[in-house]
Order: sequence, then C-alpha cells, then structure tokens
Amino acid sequence: MSNLRQTLYHALLWLISLLFFSPVAWLMLSSFKGRNDILAVPAKLVFTPTLDNYVQLFERNGFLQQLLNSFIMSVAAVIVAVVVSFLAAFCFSRFKPKGTDFLMFLLLSVRMLPGTAVILPVYLMYVAFGWKDSHAALTLFYAMFSIPFSVWILKGFIDGVSLRFDETGLVNGASWWHVIFRVVLPQVRPGLIAAFIFNMIFVWNEFLFDYIIGGRKTANVPVALATGAYADGGVDWAFVSTLSTVYLLPPIIAIYVFQRYLLVGMTFGTVRGEV
Amino acid sequence: MQSNRSGSPASRGLLAAMHPTGQAGLTARFFALLNDRRFLPLMLLTPVLVFFIIWNTIPLLWLLGLSFQKYSLTSGDDPAFTGFANYLEILGNSSVWQDLSRTFVWVFLSVVLQTGLGVALGFLFWGSHKLPGRRIALTLLFAPMVLTPVATGTFFRLIYDPTFGILNQVIRAIGLPSVDFLGQSSTAFWAVLAVDTWMWTPFLMLMTLAALGSVPKAELEAAEVDQLPWHQRLRLIILHHGKFILMLGVLLRTIDSFKTMDLVLQMTKGGPGSTTNLVALTLYRQSFESFNLGWSSALAVILLLISIAFTSIFIFVLNLKRRGDAA
Repeated sequence: MSNLRQTLYHALLWLISLLFFSPVAWLMLSSFKGRNDILAVPAKLVFTPTLDNYVQLFERNGFLQQLLNSFIMSVAAVIVAVVVSFLAAFCFSRFKPKGTDFLMFLLLSVRMLPGTAVILPVYLMYVAFGWKDSHAALTLFYAMFSIPFSVWILKGFIDGVSLRFDETGLVNGASWWHVIFRVVLPQVRPGLIAAFIFNMIFVWNEFLFDYIIGGRKTANVPVALATGAYADGGVDWAFVSTLSTVYLLPPIIAIYVFQRYLLVGMTFGTVRGEV
Repeated sequence: MQSNRSGSPASRGLLAAMHPTGQAGLTARFFALLNDRRFLPLMLLTPVLVFFIIWNTIPLLWLLGLSFQKYSLTSGDDPAFTGFANYLEILGNSSVWQDLSRTFVWVFLSVVLQTGLGVALGFLFWGSHKLPGRRIALTLLFAPMVLTPVATGTFFRLIYDPTFGILNQVIRAIGLPSVDFLGQSSTAFWAVLAVDTWMWTPFLMLMTLAALGSVPKAELEAAEVDQLPWHQRLRLIILHHGKFILMLGVLLRTIDSFKTMDLVLQMTKGGPGSTTNLVALTLYRQSFESFNLGWSSALAVILLLISIAFTSIFIFVLNLKRRGDAA
C-alpha cells in the first residue's frame, strides 16, 4: 500500500515537472517540423522530422557570428568580473574597510535596478565616447553588471574560510598574494563556479543592453532573434523555434550539471544549501 | 654592464645613496609595497572601484543631470535647464500613474501567484529524495527560469495564437470558441502574467525547498512524537526556521518583477491599447523610440529610487536573518 502511494506520489512529481517543461518541449519539437507542419491545424504530434530548419539556420547570414558573440562576450565578461570581484570580496571579507556595508549595498542595488533605467545614461555615454557597437565596451559593461552578484557570492564564501588559514600562511612568511591566490582561492571553488555559471547564463540571455549599446557587429543571439523573427509580414516560426532550441540547450545543460549551485546562484549567495 | 649604466664610481656612490640597495632593492621594495598591509585593501578594491565609477557613477550623474533638462533628440533644440519641470510633468501625468499602478498590480499578482504556487510545489517536492531521475525532473522544472526571455516571449505568441496556437486548438477541441489571448484587452494582461508565472514559480519553489531544508530534522521528529497538530508544526517549527529564506525569495521576486520588460516587449509591446504597458516599457519607449531624453531620465531616476527602496528592505531582512543565524 505504502509502495503504491509512493509510486503515485512519484508519478505526480514527474507529471508536474513535465507539465512545466511542456512548452519548451513543444518549442523543441517544432524546430524539427517542416515549415508547413509548424502551423498545421490540427497540430501534428506525429510528423516526418527534418533537419532543414537547422541547415537553414546555420547557413543564415551572420548567425555564426552572433552565436560567437554571445559565447565570447559571456565568457570574457564573466572572467573579468570574477577576477575583479574575488579581489574585492577578499578585501571586504578580511579587511572590512570603512563603508563595507554601504559599498556592498550599492553594488547589489546596481543589479536590482530596472535595466531600462540603467541603460539610458550608459547609452548616452557610449554614444558620446564612440563606444557603441564595440565588443570590448559591451563586454566590460556586462562585466560591470556581473560584478555585484559575484562580489556577494564570493564574500559569503570567503567569510566561510577560517582566518587561521591566512594567519598560518603569513606567519610562515607567505605574502598576502600567496594567501589570496594559493590559500583562500582554492577553498572558495564552489563560489567561483556559482558566480561563473549564473553570470554566464545572465549574459547569455541578455537582450536589452546588447540591443541598445551594441550594433550589427556585436549583436548576440537574443538580439538576432528579436530583430530577425519577422519575415514576409509574419513571424518566421521555423527560425524562432530552431534558434531558441539551439540557444537554450547550454543553460539547461548547465542547470543539470551544476544543480548544486542553483540556489546560491539564484539568490546572490545570500541563501546556501542544496535542493 | 652595471658599471656602464651607472657611469663613474662617484656617480655610482650617489645612486647607491639614493637607492640604498641598488636595482635589486627597487624590485624588492616594489614587492614589499605590493604586500604592504596598509595599501593592500585599496589595491584589492581599485579594480571594482574603477568599474563602478566608469559604468555606474558617471552614467548615474549624467542621468541625474539630464533629468533636470528639457532635452529631446527629435526636436533638435539644444538641451535647456528646466529644474524640476520633468519631475513635475511626470507626477502630473495620468498615463504614467496608470502605468505605475498597473505595474504595482502586476508585481503584486505575480508575486502572490508565484509564491502561492511555488510554496505548494515546494511542500509537494519536500519528500522527493527517492524520486527516480530526480535531477532530471528538477532540471525540467527549473528550465523556464534560465530560458532567454526573448525566446520565451516570442514562442508563447505562437502558443497563444488564435488560429494556429496549440492552446486554442485544445480550447476548440473541448467545444469552446477560440480566444485571441494577446489581441484583446480583457485577456492580454492575464496571458502575459501566466507566462511570467510559468517562468518564475520554479524560483519560489526552489526557495521553499531551501527554507524547508533549513528546518532541523530533530524538531520535526519531536513534533511527530508529541503528535503536534499540523498548523502548530507549520507555525512553531517550519515557519520559525524557514521564514527568512522564504522572505528573501519573495523580495527578490518582487524586485525582479518590477523590472519586467523583455517579456511584454516580445509578447504584446504593451498593447492592446496600454493594457500590458508596464512602467519599464514606458521608459524604454520614451527613451529609445521617442528619444525624449530629459523626461525619460527623470522617470528613470524615479524608478531607480523605487528599486533602491525595495533593495533596502531586502538588505534589512537579510541582516535580520544574519542576526538570527548568529544567535
């Protein structure tokens, strides 16, 4: 009896998970349909799968460049952000300079502000300085936007590393830099991973900033999706579904592989634990 | 080689006097300086401060300055200082108030719906440790959070489509007339809210699971032994331990929900009429479609202040939690 109950319970949980995933599954399914099958009424669950949409997507002008833009900008921005944030987080955690709390608050509020309000002055600044549509300038802005989150996560983790490690190192003649990079850094690896993964997902999915302060050269895939979805007076659903399927696989794989870090990642490191 | 550079013995002596240990000493002193406890904090902070000043302080001052000016890219007039005129115009503008109140309704409904559903799902998944394929099931469940909002918004337009959309096909199959969910003002707001709820319920569920995970097992077992009624268990044990994590989740969602922009831009562009026009979208349009920069800057400053107020509440609760953890 209790076994049956457990089976039913597990079936219910799986049903809920699949229900939540069903729109995504529908999207993925659509990407393998021929152009006529996508808009078929009644909708086709059984159809002849085709890879035509994928072939067309990868042959599309500029697509590989946009995919590369997404990838390079998210990786580069996050590497810069994590390095810079690690140093700052070490400082906040160990030296607690005056105004630490206030600075941490300021940093966090950067991430809490509405994107539209943040990007308006940055747009004016970029136009004035001629930084628009530049990979480096866009990447550095993304880095700035990834810093608050990384500082918060890493400070939490560095706080958890006992001061005795630092003291032992310093007493034995190690330099501060040795303590920072060789003693503390290896112990906050989970924090580094969480900061990496969740900022990467953020930059990977980001649309508005690239759309406003980027341009043709630096367009990432979300921008390509938003601007390229319309063709012949309607939405090109084959393009939308295929592009989305290709693009959402990395984040989904990331939350499967790094599920342990999901909680830390989604809460700026303010909540720890596993699910 | 050394003597070549330093010249005569006399000048070498002078150099030695200026730099007591010569070239090698300079490097050593440089490293000593790098390692100096007095300068170290500043050195560690400099990169962050540089980033913060260039990409935050300067733009924000710029924004503040513009918000006191009459400045529009479309009019061709030079910017002119007008004091608080933009702010007064916004405060007296009924359509901005409508957008703001619509946004607060949006925030309230999305947070309440998502918290309700998320908490329910969290409790449901509480005992799921033996679920076969749990990691895959949770990945599927959490997937909506990490999808590109642009892709989600666009694709849901196909799902909601009155003719081709799968949702309307189901509705027709059970004998009801098609509904143009995104095209009519009575349903558009709710249709977008449903997508937002689909995206973010998993987040509140994640927070609920974390909150439940923070409840000590021993206390629950003791309650079992004492046969404490369920409402007392909930109040005295579960809420007592889990409330802060849950509150942080609700606050994070509130802050994020206030920023919603991508989704409505993709799904409805604020329409039909202005029924789904959230204030972040108003700001977007005034800035980047009408190029009404002075006015937009003032609105941006107002939105920034609202977000900072939310963030302060978040920090306040966070500090309460820290104090609670330490005690």
